[in-house]
Amino acid sequence: MVDAGLLDAIVQGLITGSIIAGGALGLSLIYNIAEVPNFAHGDMITIGAYLALVFNNPAEIPFLPAFGSAPLPAAAIVGVVLAGALGAAYELTIFRKFRQKDADIITMVIVSLGLALVLRNVVLFLVGSKNIRYESASVSNTNFDFLVTGAGMTVRTTQRQAGDVVTTGLWGYPWWLLAGGLILATAVGYGVFRAYRREEGFDTVYLVPPKILGTAVAIATAIVLGALIQLAPQGTDPIVATRIGLSIKHLTIVGVVLAAMFALNVALKTTKFGRAMRATADNMDLAEVRGVDADRVQLLVWVIASMLAALAGVLTGWFATNLTPNMGFTLLLPIFAAVILGGISSPYGAVAGAMIIGVSMDVSVYLLPSHFATYRIAVAFLILIGVLMIKPEGLWGDV
Amino acid sequence: MAVADFLITLVTFIAIYSLFGIGLNLKFGFTGLIDFGHVAYFMVGAYVTVVLTLPADAATYGGIGGFDLPGLFAALGPLGSLFGWVLGVVGGMVAAALVSLAVGVPTLRLREDYLAITALGIATILNTVVKDEDWLFNGPYGISGIHKPLVDVFPLSLGSFTVNMAVFGLLSVAVFAYVAYWLVNRFREAGRTGRIAMAVSVGLVSLWYFVMPAIDGGTVELTKNVLWLFDPTAGPNGGLDYDRFVLILAVGFLAGGYHWVERTINSPYGRVLRAIREDEDVPQALGKETFQYKMQGLMFGSALAGAAGALWAVNIGFVSPDQFASTITFFAFTAVIIGGTANNKGVILGTTVFWAIRNGTRFIDVPSQYSIQLAAARLILIGAILIVILYYRPQGLLGEQDYDIDLPGSATGGSDDV
Amino acid sequence: MSEDSSVAPSPEETILAVEDLEKHFGGIVALDGVDLSVGSGITGLIGPNGAGKTTFFNCLTGFYTPEVGSITFQGADITGSRPAAVAKSGMVRTFQIPRELSEMTVLENLLLAPPDQSGERLSGAWLRGDAFVDDELSVRERALEMAEFFELDHLLDEPAGNLSGGQRKLLELARALLTDPEMVLLDEPLAGVNPTLEEKILDRIHDLEAQGYSFLFVEHDIEMIMNHCDRVIVLHRGEVLTTGTPEEVQTDDRVIEAYLGEVDV
Repeated sequence: MVDAGLLDAIVQGLITGSIIAGGALGLSLIYNIAEVPNFAHGDMITIGAYLALVFNNPAEIPFLPAFGSAPLPAAAIVGVVLAGALGAAYELTIFRKFRQKDADIITMVIVSLGLALVLRNVVLFLVGSKNIRYESASVSNTNFDFLVTGAGMTVRTTQRQAGDVVTTGLWGYPWWLLAGGLILATAVGYGVFRAYRREEGFDTVYLVPPKILGTAVAIATAIVLGALIQLAPQGTDPIVATRIGLSIKHLTIVGVVLAAMFALNVALKTTKFGRAMRATADNMDLAEVRGVDADRVQLLVWVIASMLAALAGVLTGWFATNLTPNMGFTLLLPIFAAVILGGISSPYGAVAGAMIIGVSMDVSVYLLPSHFATYRIAVAFLILIGVLMIKPEGLWGDV
Repeated sequence: MAVADFLITLVTFIAIYSLFGIGLNLKFGFTGLIDFGHVAYFMVGAYVTVVLTLPADAATYGGIGGFDLPGLFAALGPLGSLFGWVLGVVGGMVAAALVSLAVGVPTLRLREDYLAITALGIATILNTVVKDEDWLFNGPYGISGIHKPLVDVFPLSLGSFTVNMAVFGLLSVAVFAYVAYWLVNRFREAGRTGRIAMAVSVGLVSLWYFVMPAIDGGTVELTKNVLWLFDPTAGPNGGLDYDRFVLILAVGFLAGGYHWVERTINSPYGRVLRAIREDEDVPQALGKETFQYKMQGLMFGSALAGAAGALWAVNIGFVSPDQFASTITFFAFTAVIIGGTANNKGVILGTTVFWAIRNGTRFIDVPSQYSIQLAAARLILIGAILIVILYYRPQGLLGEQDYDIDLPGSATGGSDDV
Repeated sequence: MSEDSSVAPSPEETILAVEDLEKHFGGIVALDGVDLSVGSGITGLIGPNGAGKTTFFNCLTGFYTPEVGSITFQGADITGSRPAAVAKSGMVRTFQIPRELSEMTVLENLLLAPPDQSGERLSGAWLRGDAFVDDELSVRERALEMAEFFELDHLLDEPAGNLSGGQRKLLELARALLTDPEMVLLDEPLAGVNPTLEEKILDRIHDLEAQGYSFLFVEHDIEMIMNHCDRVIVLHRGEVLTTGTPEEVQTDDRVIEAYLGEVDV
């Protein structure tokens, strides 16, 4: 029996971080471009989760006939699209009007607070406060045991099937392969970094910053190598051993959020609307002078941000295996922490901030006595306050 | 339950939350600090007062204390233990102010939106600490058996039934007379819309309070409502019961807090606070240490929230961490904004409107399985009102108050002496 | 009006001395080792756009903290002091765009400024002793005098937000003077002001100079600087290009190249 260790806490933290990142992507758009520190964002997440529930598990909603159940991915897509329409409604009926009155940031904060109160209680009104689950296939965890032995590393995968722990895989990597693989992965990553990097200039805009691309390629190479080349076990008598628990669900969540981040980044940097959005973020008045239709940009911001929030809601509901009217609001603080930490102006920053918050939450829970487990969110917050004390404008400022 | 009893409960609530709101108004309305963690000081004030006044051997309590301050002075009679309780309240207020000092040091230098978020976060953390640390204040079990000041004195009876009824009855009528006098004066000052609003609301309330009971329950109900201070069922000869005392206590605290804040605001000190709210760079450039002012404003506002917490504990008789969720802060913001930001009278008006909507709708008959729906509907209404008010009347019902520094030496005082 | 024609003020009349001041924003160097000293009277600070004038003001008054260098005001080191401390030490500033407190009345804007008011402390406001009343009465008297001096006395009860642009400039100056300064830093006090008012402001400044106040002011209008300043400092690309009397500066080739050349004098 191998215990879960620091590595597992970090992996769990990355998953928690992905959930937070889903919300942080949308919030950073609203915060940065619409200039609304949106306290309703948590409740927009809740709304998204429940919109998907309508199609996935309508029997749980009192006033709805049980008209059957769509698979979660399909329900999620419909829910996200509907949430986008709601986002348009928030902008058109509320925030546009306040913007036209030149409302200051304090007013915007309180308006969003009012919206938050309305949204949360609409859910409560329609669905009630009971815990509800999505209708989805149950996913079992696979435990990856990493055993470091004198000869190299052995990997053993186990799964719980019908109550029994079953070993589903056993393989290994000798030292030379580990070293070689790491060197190869690093080399590939560095090569991509060098090939991709261009002359630094004011107008250099990378779709993906070379450092991030290089690192991502290196990690991907290592994982692909590890998956493809599985040699014989290198013994099962470990010097050091650690366990990571993973499931398809976790990988899906991380994958979906990273894909959303990448798509948002591409949209911001390559499309006409994306450029208009970035110009508006820099300076709303200047962008208008240059012919950007600010109202359309803001409308799009709210639509996209609401869709991202809904996506985060579905992932949260799926991950936590239950939905409550408060689910989004409890996420609000870590999401704000991630957005401020990451600098409120780039998708990468938001995701990086979310990962820092997520990892520090789960690692601290692992490191501290079990009694402190309820302080996960407090940890996120202490990090934020610590960073703000040193750099009041956020970790990376407005990059 | 007679309408008077319901109203006594409601007005006690309103007085306590108004005091809480006045503390928030000092921070938000006059100094411009968005403290989304205001409820934390309500909680600190409640808990610290309760623990300072709790008997040392309180059953089912496993936290630190109690310190039984009223017991220390019990030898001096009821007034002695009242003094002990007041000391406890002072302790609660000081504790609230000190906690806000600790919170303010890192957060007051931040941008206003970051301040809002970090304040909310810290309040959430403090609530988690109180909930999870059993050794501190008994954790999630809360504290019951709270010391209630002068509770042994009540019901207060001055003699025979007739004497009680006469004295408390006269006092009740005197209060009505004063309220009527005050309303007439306000009516004279009000504009056309104000007069209509006042006539309609006063008319409806009196219809509900005086006429309806007379039709429904006859003269007994009406008498109860008119002589509201007198409770014929309290004790052998009737008298003033404890709920009514708590009401008087809460209104007294509110009056004290109100005048204290007014005195602070209508002064050169208040001028600096308002300057900070408008543009902090200006008072700084003129040589005012704005950080100190913001800190003092934060601490003073938190101390008032602490006093409100102490009263809350007495009124409810039980404290637990769940009573101090962040929604309480948001309710107070709503009340302040409805009534008029930077207007202390507005805070009281806004709190009244807020709690009248929140609790007054309990007379709507709905089957009990829909109670969640009713509660949710109220909050939807409140959220919508908040947005609508901010759009159509951002200054709130009453708008910002006027300022006047009372100077005995000058002819008229204030800013209109030129 | 400029009797003082020495190039550098002698040590005893130096009020403000700045040594080697540096300020960066990210990779951009805003101030690159500014060395200068300012004496009594009216000193003009000129330089092309982006020369670092406003950054320099912000460093002097504590709104920015310089990375390198020192600022000495009346013999005391005020480098890195907070804005309020700088103002209390006797150096007060105005803002380029007037920052009146628009929701407060003109009188309240003025009453805010005088230092050490008893009622400004929490204890004073609560206890309201004799000092509270005396201070407030005397502060009011001074505010009224100042309002008369700047012809704002008919506007005392107006919210400051209702003032015209020129009146705001006057209010800003009046407010600064009520802090009992030794030296007033004026950031473009004449920008956007009509000629009549400009004349009025300049008259006031000369009156106040005669009363012993010193001024350091940033201005774009070369003619104005040449006609009204005792000494001129030229800032260019974050460094002091030259200092001297208006005549000396006017004929300096480097100045003409850097600045005057761009402008039709």
